[in-house]
Amino acid sequence: MSDLVWLSMAELGHMISTKEISPLEVVRAHLDRIAALDGGLRAFITVCADGALQAARAAETDLMAGKVAGPLHGVPWAPKDLYATKGIRTTGGSKILAESIPSEDATVVSRLSRAGAVVLGKLNMHEFAYGPEGLNAHYGDARNPWDRNAHRIAGGSSSGSGVAVAAGLAPGSLGSDTGGSIRIPASLCGITGLKPTYGRVSRAGVLPLSWSMDHVGPMTRTARDCALILGAIAGYDPADPTTSVLPVPDYAAALGGEVRGLRVGLLRAHFTDVAAPEVRAAIEAAARRLELAGAVVDEVNLTQVIHVAAASSAIVASEAVAYHAGWMRARAQDYQPDVRERLRIGAFVSGAHYVRAQQARALVRREVDDALAKRDVLLAPATPIAAPAVGERDTTLGDGPSDVRSALIRLTRPFNFSGHPCCAAPCGFTAGGLPIGLQVVGRPFDEATVLRVVDAYQRLTDWHTRRPEPA
Amino acid sequence: MLAPMEIPVETLRRLARLGGFAWTDAELEAIRPGVQRLLETLERLETLPLDGVEPTTQYRLL
Repeated sequence: MSDLVWLSMAELGHMISTKEISPLEVVRAHLDRIAALDGGLRAFITVCADGALQAARAAETDLMAGKVAGPLHGVPWAPKDLYATKGIRTTGGSKILAESIPSEDATVVSRLSRAGAVVLGKLNMHEFAYGPEGLNAHYGDARNPWDRNAHRIAGGSSSGSGVAVAAGLAPGSLGSDTGGSIRIPASLCGITGLKPTYGRVSRAGVLPLSWSMDHVGPMTRTARDCALILGAIAGYDPADPTTSVLPVPDYAAALGGEVRGLRVGLLRAHFTDVAAPEVRAAIEAAARRLELAGAVVDEVNLTQVIHVAAASSAIVASEAVAYHAGWMRARAQDYQPDVRERLRIGAFVSGAHYVRAQQARALVRREVDDALAKRDVLLAPATPIAAPAVGERDTTLGDGPSDVRSALIRLTRPFNFSGHPCCAAPCGFTAGGLPIGLQVVGRPFDEATVLRVVDAYQRLTDWHTRRPEPA
Repeated sequence: MLAPMEIPVETLRRLARLGGFAWTDAELEAIRPGVQRLLETLERLETLPLDGVEPTTQYRLL
């Protein structure tokens, strides 16, 4: 199998621009690996081999003519299957949209195409992004590549993105994150995933789950690759009225520095302290590693996050029902059972509950802002547990028993609620060889500092360079 | 805060119809425990000090 599949997007882009390798060679290497492994991994819903090869040839022609679109010129990637892709079916992981072929690209897809990146195909996901396990009854369950024997969840909802990037089927992806759907699979699959600030990246052309909680962002193997993708997709979009007009910094240029003097708050109560013992130890070790490198680490407690579960349930449930009501009436039997049940339950949230939940949002946001007024970033586990087996329903956290679903979203959802940027990245492995993920939280629109911290951590450690050996 | 009551299927049926959903009693019975849990969770929102707090969905954008 070609080593090209393990190069980062930054490395691929550099080697393509200097003509050490050709876009065609790179795309073929990834298509070969997809053909060899995806039957078992189920990362892709649709593979676009012909389109990818055609785009790679065009990138090569441009390159030979001296036209390089940018650092992602000729570099392959694959979006979660809820991004509209012109002429390529966009299912949302559903039977309902199985034959839906958009006539336009989502804004971020067209921005990446303009940057020269090449779409390999569309990635598996929890149906309509409504589940943190990443399971899909219609297209098969994506399989976590870190366990050859047991079928473990990849985490969701962007499960295919987590698996494809971890297993070398694609060097990068775009996921979406409503309660942790970028950071949960990043944590469980051992990759790097960034949820930007609400309003930093356009959601136009992305199937919604919950308008006020949805974020879109990159999933890659390094912070540097997240920076490259974010630089290409971020910024105001007239098609998404929630996008900010704040200028987009050069995220990649902000990397490479030290963390000396940076103030890091280790989130204790309701975060690190509720994680499983191996996860807690890995997060504490990551904090110590940053401290050794010169960061100033202290401990911080967020108390208002106890309201997040109730308030975000009211918001997500209401907004999801508003989007799905028509199909819930006409095509209820076409939903997979867990999603249908979740949608139906959501129909009983009142308008007063919804507004009260949006009020609670202000309380939580203010508390996170206050914690970040004295610190540059906050540190926490991304998930309190490593990847559970498919079908595992219950687990035990530091504060008692929990169902797996609630445990998976517990540490990520507060920052969908508050809107702050966060990046998940690997920081260790369990004794059983499963990845453990940390989460770095930053100030609104300060993705540059978040990525700088994760990049520095990745230059100090080698967790992100470990590779699974999928069956 | 009132103690949560068990919701009869009849009530669920009426509420669902108000929302435009004509679910069968069997379908409503299947989701009843989940609705009960959700409403108990939402009760917690009633205890929050939210007087004078404006609902927020996003940052003020320049």
